[in-house]
Formats: sequence, structure tokens, C-alpha cells
Amino acid sequence: MMAQQHASTPIVEGLFEIVAGTPKLIGSQCHGCNTIYFPQALSCRNPKCRDKSVEQTFLPHCGTLYSYTVQRYQPPPLFRMDHWSPYALGLVDLGDGLQVMGMLTGIKLDEIAIGMALKLVVEPLYSDAEIGEKLTYKFAPAERAGAA
Amino acid sequence: MTRSVYVLGAGAHPWGKWPDKPQLQLAHEAMNLALEDASLAWPEIQGLVAASSRFEGGMGWGLHANEVVQSVAEQGIPCINVGGACAAGAVAFQTAYALIASGQHDVVAVLGAERMPKGFIPRPPGSPDDISDSDYLRWVAMGATNPAYWAIEANRRKFDFGTSDETLARAAVMMRKNASGNRLARFRAATSIEEVLASPMVADPLHLLEICPVSDGAAAVILGTQEYTRKTGRKQVEVAGCAIATGDFGDPARRIPTVSTNVLPNVSHTSEVVNAVNRACEMAGIGPEDVDVLEMADNTVWHLLSWPELFGFYEPGQGDWMLDNGKLEIGGQLSVNPSGGFLSFGEATTAQAVLQICELTWQLRGEAEGHQVPNATIGMSAVLGLGANGGSVILKT
Ligand SMILES: [Zn+2]
Repeated sequence: MMAQQHASTPIVEGLFEIVAGTPKLIGSQCHGCNTIYFPQALSCRNPKCRDKSVEQTFLPHCGTLYSYTVQRYQPPPLFRMDHWSPYALGLVDLGDGLQVMGMLTGIKLDEIAIGMALKLVVEPLYSDAEIGEKLTYKFAPAERAGAA
Repeated sequence: MTRSVYVLGAGAHPWGKWPDKPQLQLAHEAMNLALEDASLAWPEIQGLVAASSRFEGGMGWGLHANEVVQSVAEQGIPCINVGGACAAGAVAFQTAYALIASGQHDVVAVLGAERMPKGFIPRPPGSPDDISDSDYLRWVAMGATNPAYWAIEANRRKFDFGTSDETLARAAVMMRKNASGNRLARFRAATSIEEVLASPMVADPLHLLEICPVSDGAAAVILGTQEYTRKTGRKQVEVAGCAIATGDFGDPARRIPTVSTNVLPNVSHTSEVVNAVNRACEMAGIGPEDVDVLEMADNTVWHLLSWPELFGFYEPGQGDWMLDNGKLEIGGQLSVNPSGGFLSFGEATTAQAVLQICELTWQLRGEAEGHQVPNATIGMSAVLGLGANGGSVILKT
């Protein structure tokens, strides 16, 4: 059922990129206060910042799990996923106060633990004969490198 | 310069599913009850503020004050329609309050009426299908439902404070117990911790009976000057404080429908509501310790445990002990949601914050039949709406 004539593309354009084999989330960084926003933002939102201008940046691709849940019911039709089954959604701390939500992968639902080290991965969400394979970003368990 | 404002009348249609009653009819019935309660009629109403949403009515604008007066009393009065999602009722109340406090009008009505769509709430028409729309992103990239956001908060609470599944369930049991005496509530049957924990898991750790569903409902409040409240001959219920607010940068709350948070130290969680509560307290010249009854938006059991802590009623983490020891029940140290809360009503978005004020009015008058908080003299409401809308009203008698 794979659509051979189509390449795999991100579920939403501008969400992430694969740079030299490593997936990277695309955000915006403020020139004035260095705050990083995800997804890309129109302006800095820090009320104390007077610059407000932002430029595209990549987010750190490793973090720790701040909290999570397991979604037991299939979300409404705007969400599409091949072979649906309950899955975990995590809130991942990427450092400097930036927390990003995303699906978790590569771990059993009953083995997820707050504080675990995670890394960004990209996986297919669904395939469609018309539009090809759609990819989304997820977080997977990582070897903890150095400091905890 | 600023005049005191009083609640002259309160009225509400029971919450439930009312497929045979159009939104406008629900609105009329709530208004009629509030007018009767205030011993007033439409000719005395000098302005109408409606809490609007996009779900039904008003030529696609949601409940519309203009449509209401056109259907019952075309008398040239100003009609104001305000948004604010689930906090719209608080924004409407604040607007009506200001019209009277400023001296512009003497009697103004606040109205919320809602018939909710079945199942998941659809995205608004005209939203862009691209990266600039968080509501699009959260659905297509990860399928994050509203309960998932609340569940992530609840799981973190379990980690931070050791909150047990039984304590979370006990909050739902308490809401049902309170609702059993309230004829306006939709879910009035008693439940047990076992039954709550046996209900289907929606998003770990939250079960079906720990999350508020959607309902149809309508509520109205009539505000006026002291001169008018004296005429009613009833116990006077004064608006001691009221405020609406938005959020602060750095707020750690997982705000629906965003997919990321910029967390800064020393910024309040759910800051839009905390800001509103703090301002309302400042205006009323009271602190949380003075409040007898709190009507707050309990979208889930997590909210019941966490919100009073965020407002400074007690220390973070103490909510578990307060709940487990009956301190939050009717007549306890702090009566939380004697009405039965959103968990027992189901949410009829724009009407919800107006209903909270009706409930406080009845509590302070001693008219909350079946669920009365003994000797309540100060009541506070707190509500949160999508888009970082917070509202709080403090009434005193
Ligand atoms: Zn900045």
C-alpha cells in the first residue's frame, strides 16, 4: 500500500528537518533575550524583551521526561495514524525551560518513568496512496550521556 | 466615583441534554427565573451582556444578546457580546459590573446559554491548516486531546506529591455527593472510589468519571445598584471583588492547545486564573482565609486538588490531606464546589461561570436548598477559558 511515487514528508511543513541523518525540531530564537520557541513563532513573547525579532533555529534533540500520559481513546478524525492502538504522549524538558509535547516511542507503556532520558526521532504516522507517507516527530529512550 | 454593585437576582435552567429546547429558549428560561428572583421585568433592564461562543445561535456568533432582546424586548438597550471561551461568563459579569460601578447604568443582566456539540469539540471554521495554528498541530502531529493535557498535569502531581489514584477518585466522589442535593446538577447519583476507578481510563491517570463531560445549560444574573437591591427586600449580596486576567510569560501550565511551554522560575501555574483571583481579593480587601465557599472550574479531579493550592488557600501538596480528611466538603474548612462542580454538571461553556455566580448568590442568601454551606458570608468563583482567560468574582453578604 506504500505510495512508491511519493517521498516521505513531515506531517506539517516546517515542524522538523533531518540534518545529516539526525532529526531536528525547528523553532525560533529571539535576538533580544535568546528565548527559544516551538513551533516557529511570529515574535518573541517575553513581555520584558524589547527586541522581539526572531530567527529560525534548531531545538536540542535530547531531553528528559517531565510528565506523560497514555491516550486510551482514539482522537477525532483530524488525527490519523495507521494501526491505531493506545500510545503515550510525553512532555519533554529540553533545557532552558523549554518543554515540548510529543508522542513517545520505543518503550512499553508500563515502563515509562518521569525523569528518563529521551532523544528525538522521526517515524511514519500513516501512509496514503495520494499523498505518500507522513512523518511525525516522537521521543524515544536514549542512553543517558554524562550528567543526570 | 465607583458605585457598589449588588446581585439582584439569579436564575438557572437545569444542566443536561435538552435536544428539544433551542438555545434561545434556554436563555429565556434562565432570564425569566433571574428576573423573577429580582422582582423585576424586562422594562427595568438597562443593558444585557451575553457570554458568547461559536457553538450555536446568534447567526453563527454564538449566544447573542441582540438576538435575545429581539426575541423578547426590543427596547433600545445596549447589548454587548463577549468571548472568552469557558471564562466568557466571567468576562460578561465583569463588563456588566463596570457598566453599573461607573454610573452608566443601574440594572444590567448577564446571560450565558449553551447547547454543546456531541463528542469532541470541532476546530473553529477558517483556521489555517499549517504550523501557525497550534490547534491543528496538536491534532495532526500527536492527537493530543484535552484530557491528555490535564492527565500530564495529574501524573506530574503524582510524581511531585505522591498523590494516590484513590485521592484523585475521592475528589470525584465528593462532587457527586455535593450534587446529590442540587436539583440543577445533571449527575446526581452517588458514586464510590471503586466505581470511579473502575470507569474506563481516558488518559492515565484520569478515568472517565474524573473528567467533566459537556452539557446544555443556561444561567443569568441581574446586577444593580444599592437602591435596587433595597427594593427587593432580600438579603443583600454585594460584589466585593471581580477581575478578569490573562496569563504570564513563563507559566508552567500545559496550555491547551499549545505543544510547548516556556517555563520560568517563580511564575504561577495557571497564572491567568491566579492573577484574576489575586486582583479580586485585593479589590475585596480579603485573603483566601476569609473565603467560606469556593466555586471553581473542575474540568478534572486534578483541578480540585491543585487550584486551591495555586490560589494560596493552603500549601502546594496539602490538597490531598485536605480532601482525604473531609476539609473540603460542605461545612468543612473550605467548602469547594458545594454545587457539585463541572464534574456533576458537565460543561456548558459560556453558561458555566454565570452559574458559579448564581450558586454563590444562593449560598450567601442561605437558599442553596439541599447543599447549603452553613453561615457562608464570603464566596469566590474561579474559572479558566481557552486562550488564557481567567476570571474570579467575590461576593459577600
Ligand atoms: Zn525576546
